[in-house]
Amino acid sequence: MLATPTPSPAETRDNTAFDALLWTLSRPGLPRKLPEPGEGTIITALLDRECLVYSADPLLMPEIMRTGAELADIDRADHVFLGAMTTSDPIADINIGSDFYPDAGATVIIRASFGSGPALRLAGPGVDGAMSLQLDGLPDGFWKARAARLRYPMGFDLFFVDGARVVGVPRSTTVEEV
Amino acid sequence: MSLSTLTKPWEAMSYGFLDGSAKRELRRKMLKSVAVPGCQMPYASREVPMARGWGTGGLQVSLTLVNLQTRVKVIDQGADDSVNAASIRRFIARVAGTPTTMDTLEADLIQSRHRIPEEILREDQVLVLQVPNPEPLRSVQPNMSIARQMHADADYGRMWLQLYEQIVRSGRVMQGASYPSLVHGRHVMTPSPIPRWDVPKLHMAKHLTILSAGREKRIFVVPPFTRVEPLVFSDVPYKVEEHGALTCTRSGTTGFFMNEIPQDDGTSSFEISDSEWGVKTIRARDGEGENRGETWYKDGEMPQ
Repeated sequence: MLATPTPSPAETRDNTAFDALLWTLSRPGLPRKLPEPGEGTIITALLDRECLVYSADPLLMPEIMRTGAELADIDRADHVFLGAMTTSDPIADINIGSDFYPDAGATVIIRASFGSGPALRLAGPGVDGAMSLQLDGLPDGFWKARAARLRYPMGFDLFFVDGARVVGVPRSTTVEEV
Repeated sequence: MSLSTLTKPWEAMSYGFLDGSAKRELRRKMLKSVAVPGCQMPYASREVPMARGWGTGGLQVSLTLVNLQTRVKVIDQGADDSVNAASIRRFIARVAGTPTTMDTLEADLIQSRHRIPEEILREDQVLVLQVPNPEPLRSVQPNMSIARQMHADADYGRMWLQLYEQIVRSGRVMQGASYPSLVHGRHVMTPSPIPRWDVPKLHMAKHLTILSAGREKRIFVVPPFTRVEPLVFSDVPYKVEEHGALTCTRSGTTGFFMNEIPQDDGTSSFEISDSEWGVKTIRARDGEGENRGETWYKDGEMPQ
């Protein structure tokens, strides 16, 4: 009889982090808790040697390098860490995949704070009717720049991180500034 | 950087059987499939100790999602106790130490072959469907590359033509299971070979549905609150199987999807397909307590 394997602390952390990511991406605008504050658990749950990563935040570099992921320019990267954004210029360069392979569109992780700042109205798959969300710390014109890039099903998917909380906004979500 | 930081402690087996890189790849692909509902995403589909075509796709998704607290239910054509369901359930419990259940209401994760349970799934539940053939266009376009182009162009004309021809030839749509459905108004998907009875349960549902084809190496998702519309002509309405008036011979429950059991005299008798619903009905009848949840179909009809 085989002994049941027990999850290592790293396995549990990655599993919990992914659970939060999957939940919040399938219910845009509803925050979930990551096991630890910051992007670290997202990095270990998702990245490995198969990934091309761009990071605007040099402090995340050691953690990204430890996963074995390859560094790339923003227009080639499949995972983009923008840290706390000061300008919405990087949005123009993010890889949005192709009509053949929409899955090549990047996953973008940005630091923001929830519960204050401009109000947004979200609609689309995962949202029951409409959902309101307040995000602060994003540069001016961020949502316009996003809307200008999206050509559904081509596009990129956003995760906003505030401490240990994470909110997902997939490309299928329409975002309206109110 | 030293050798000890690059290696991990030795383990007889990874938790949940799949190794770390397989899980991370599946995680990345699951996120992408949530972002583009109904669009088939290619993934690596690793080996699991089960033959391809027996639920390996669903199993890999389940093994990636489970932790020690996830209560797992596995069904095969509605039944918890068929060989395939029992084997998969035991395998997951053995390699991931998860608690198991047969009760739909208790389950956190439901892996299913070709049925959606009759009780309404909650928002904290995940349904994993095993998919034998993920490509709805295969019957009209066997070339995968051209089919991919057709999905990219949202070119579903041949799909409609096929349905039209069925109506002209037979007077009705002959598609029984895996009825092609438009997800979020953009991608046509096959909902896996669930009966027509189950397709409306996916429309604007509260739960997350993940469909995974292990042999074909494709994964796609129906997020909660997403439109799933069966392809129908405006003058030929979508019809589910006429099971609304049938009664189960073993439990006496009426108004749910039934298995038809041919009899020696040429007639048929019917048994409830969702076996746990039958068990619960029998328990309630015998006075052993009522724990039946709310169902999608009421009196054999899906409320609009």
